[in-house]
Amino acid sequence: MEYRSQKIAYWYFVAALPLFVLQVFLGLYLGSSYAFTIPQEIVDVFSFATARSMHTNLLVLWMLLGFMGGAYYIVPEETQSEIYSPGLAYFQLVALLVTGVVALIGFFFGWTQGRPLLEIPRPLDLVVVVGALIFLFNIGMTMLKANRWTVIQGTLLGGLVFLALLYLFGIPFYRNEVIDWYYWWWVIHLWVEGAWELVTGAILAFILMKLTGVDRHVVEKWLYVEIGLFMFTGIAGTGHHYYWIGAPRYWLWIGGIFSALEPLPILLMVIDTMLHVKERKTQIVNPLVWTYAIGCAVFHMIGAGVWGFAHTLPQINYYTHGSQVTVSHGHLAFFGAYALLNLTTFYFAMPKLKGIEVFDDRRGKIGFWTMNVAMMIMGLTFGVAGVLQAYIERVLGMGYMTAQSYMRLWMLVTIVAGVFFLAGLLTTVTDLLTLRPAKQEA
Amino acid sequence: MTKKTAFWIFLLGTLSSAVLFLAATWDTHRQVETLSNVDKLSEQVVAGKRTFEKYNCNDCHTILGFGGYYAPDLTKVVQRIGADGIRYRVKSPELAFANSWRKMPNLNVSDAEIEDLIAFFTWVGEINNNDWPPQDSKKRLSRGEQAMVATVGVSPGAAVFQTKGCMNCHALNGTGGTFGPALDTIGRELSAAEIRTYVRDPKSVDPKSMMPAQTGLSDRELEEVAKFLSNRK
Repeated sequence: MEYRSQKIAYWYFVAALPLFVLQVFLGLYLGSSYAFTIPQEIVDVFSFATARSMHTNLLVLWMLLGFMGGAYYIVPEETQSEIYSPGLAYFQLVALLVTGVVALIGFFFGWTQGRPLLEIPRPLDLVVVVGALIFLFNIGMTMLKANRWTVIQGTLLGGLVFLALLYLFGIPFYRNEVIDWYYWWWVIHLWVEGAWELVTGAILAFILMKLTGVDRHVVEKWLYVEIGLFMFTGIAGTGHHYYWIGAPRYWLWIGGIFSALEPLPILLMVIDTMLHVKERKTQIVNPLVWTYAIGCAVFHMIGAGVWGFAHTLPQINYYTHGSQVTVSHGHLAFFGAYALLNLTTFYFAMPKLKGIEVFDDRRGKIGFWTMNVAMMIMGLTFGVAGVLQAYIERVLGMGYMTAQSYMRLWMLVTIVAGVFFLAGLLTTVTDLLTLRPAKQEA
Repeated sequence: MTKKTAFWIFLLGTLSSAVLFLAATWDTHRQVETLSNVDKLSEQVVAGKRTFEKYNCNDCHTILGFGGYYAPDLTKVVQRIGADGIRYRVKSPELAFANSWRKMPNLNVSDAEIEDLIAFFTWVGEINNNDWPPQDSKKRLSRGEQAMVATVGVSPGAAVFQTKGCMNCHALNGTGGTFGPALDTIGRELSAAEIRTYVRDPKSVDPKSMMPAQTGLSDRELEEVAKFLSNRK
């Protein structure tokens, strides 16, 4: 830690971790709802829908906290100055957490906007917007005052502003269901395949530069090409969500072609990560951080790149759209691209924030491998369930519940993998919150 | 490659994609008027959409393929189970799904709200969305039937039974829905002709029947499925 205000990041990370754990607990409830019969009395009070809205909103909340913490860590070092107002940063953390908790309790009592992933009721949306403005103001002022612009800073700020702007499209009530979904994807798709990729690109570039000692010049050149390709394929690639919503037919072409190219920037990210690691000019101090950085790039490629590509072509998507195949892709992509990116950031920054140079990474390694293997298995079992569903329900036309009965076993296996994932996550969270220096080997 | 070239790759990549996307967005707004039958988008349809959101239906059910995957897609729900089927399931899910291993919550939706929902689903079902979902497509399923007859060697009636949504409600040999009675021995009770009449218009035989009239079946399909079922003894 070089700047005092970087300490803000620590509290954002600490706030994010328990939310991640809670998200996984709710995931296990969702999985159980597929494999077992949840009695009518329980379903009437705590439905799958309520649990799902909690599961997904917790995901968004903890990841945004992670990104914000990441920004508060990176910006002082990049601008070589303290954060404009640490007070505002802490205020905004508390405001966001309170909003999140109120929203979760509200879901339980049926207070919802009722649109998947955007369930946060409209009055609370306004609080979120104010919080985002405070955050952007704080980060923006820090950069403006320092006036030492770098590509990493620009990408980070651009991504965060883009992210905040897109959120606005999710707030209005749309009378037409088709238009509703059209703009719903401006939030969801343009977040995860646009704004979030910019933030990820910037954070990963920063961490790689610090870890490897490769010239800023080289890192930032790669970053430009990557985000250029991310934007080129990602923006028009939104079209792959417009195949079956009642939008014009040309979206089959736009969506099909652009999203077929979407793996390219991710592949580039994997290649440049590998190259930087190969050409590193510094010693490996904490191997686990490297493992996470490479794991993130590779899993990003599998989950978002390969799995996304697998059902993005209209001819295939016609049968897999809205099935467990989507769930498989969603889990692998979010975990690979964004959960691992956040955990990479945590493992990179938290020891430094605690003043530990070399940390004991034995527990962390167990956590990493348990989570990664468990999530990969979950991706595969969800995928098998999804293919069964697509074939039985959509190709053979045998009815929804008939397909579900064949998928039941695979959902049960998913729960077992989910329990392992939870164990890995608890190990990881415990490790992050109680990091210790490694014992000096004589 | 210099950093400047890299910067231009970024700028041109972003701008070209954004321009294409925004132009298509403008045109989509224009075309959606026709594709979604905006002239039929009444206040009751909008009220139904609000009800749909009020009860968070969309986090269990998909509509146009988006949402929770825990319950059937609702895009063509009116075509599939009819207005009465929707009323019964939303009003008394604990009865409708008493035999199902997956339950639907009773959310105390009012009668007026249910009528709004039906108006909303009726409107959604008529959106021209490139013939999705496949299981409700007239075109694709008749192709699926042909394939089953040709490759699996089942009788045409069995193919109709499997592909026309009968199994959403009825089971044979333990496979299928639990909403209607299992049909393993239906041939002991009804003749092929009686089955034809019943399937075409259930209420004409039994006014209390919950089954929607199957108007989407061609005469040939109806004949084949009735022959097939009348042999289940």
